[in-house]
Amino acid sequence: MTSPIGGISSLFPSAALGATTGVAGTAATSATQAAQSTSGTDFASVLASSMDQLQSTQATADNLATQAATGDLRDVHDYMIASNEASLATEMVVAIKNQAVSAFNEIMRMQV
Amino acid sequence: MAIFDTLSISGSGMTAHRKWLDAVSDNISNINDVSATSEDAFKERFVDVQANEYGSGEGGVRVAGVTFGSGEGRIVYEPDNPLADANGNVKYPDIDLGDQMTELMIAQRGYQANVTAISRATDAYQAALRLGKG
Repeated sequence: MTSPIGGISSLFPSAALGATTGVAGTAATSATQAAQSTSGTDFASVLASSMDQLQSTQATADNLATQAATGDLRDVHDYMIASNEASLATEMVVAIKNQAVSAFNEIMRMQV
Repeated sequence: MAIFDTLSISGSGMTAHRKWLDAVSDNISNINDVSATSEDAFKERFVDVQANEYGSGEGGVRVAGVTFGSGEGRIVYEPDNPLADANGNVKYPDIDLGDQMTELMIAQRGYQANVTAISRATDAYQAALRLGKG
């Protein structure tokens, strides 16, 4: 079956549907295992790597801010670009977080 | 940086133009330096820029080095000058103020163009982050 939103249907393997008929907990755990074993870049690793990147951009910006304060800064624009980049990276991570939270809320609101 | 590349690329352009502005202001500030005919006049500074290879690593531009103009200068008859030789001549650097002003304008405009590229890129990235918010 070809599904237009394949990413969503892959979250619900047939084992999970089977679990609703019986109250067997083992079927439900096998469903979560199936969800975890999906290959490719999963959301958590995307979020973690963007967090790492945010941390390094903010460290660069902080470093340049210190240089600006102590008078060691050679190029004014270096600091402005670094702070701009840090603010963009923060916006990006916040956007990713917001999408994750809204996806979670959407699932929590689902009628079973 | 991997994700917001435009910012660092344009930043390298700003650094290159800043160094060019430095070189031009150095030339202008030394335009009236007098030296004895036996020694070199002030040498005009030129900034050599080179492209960072795009694709392999980071793009952008870098200052590869500084070259100097000739120290020959132009001979001016100034017998009152304490540096004057037996014939009453001194040396002035052979720098044309008109040329320097033109270079100054080009460097300043180049710097501004890079600033514009950064602000447009920032706007574009922010628009991308607002995707799906209606």
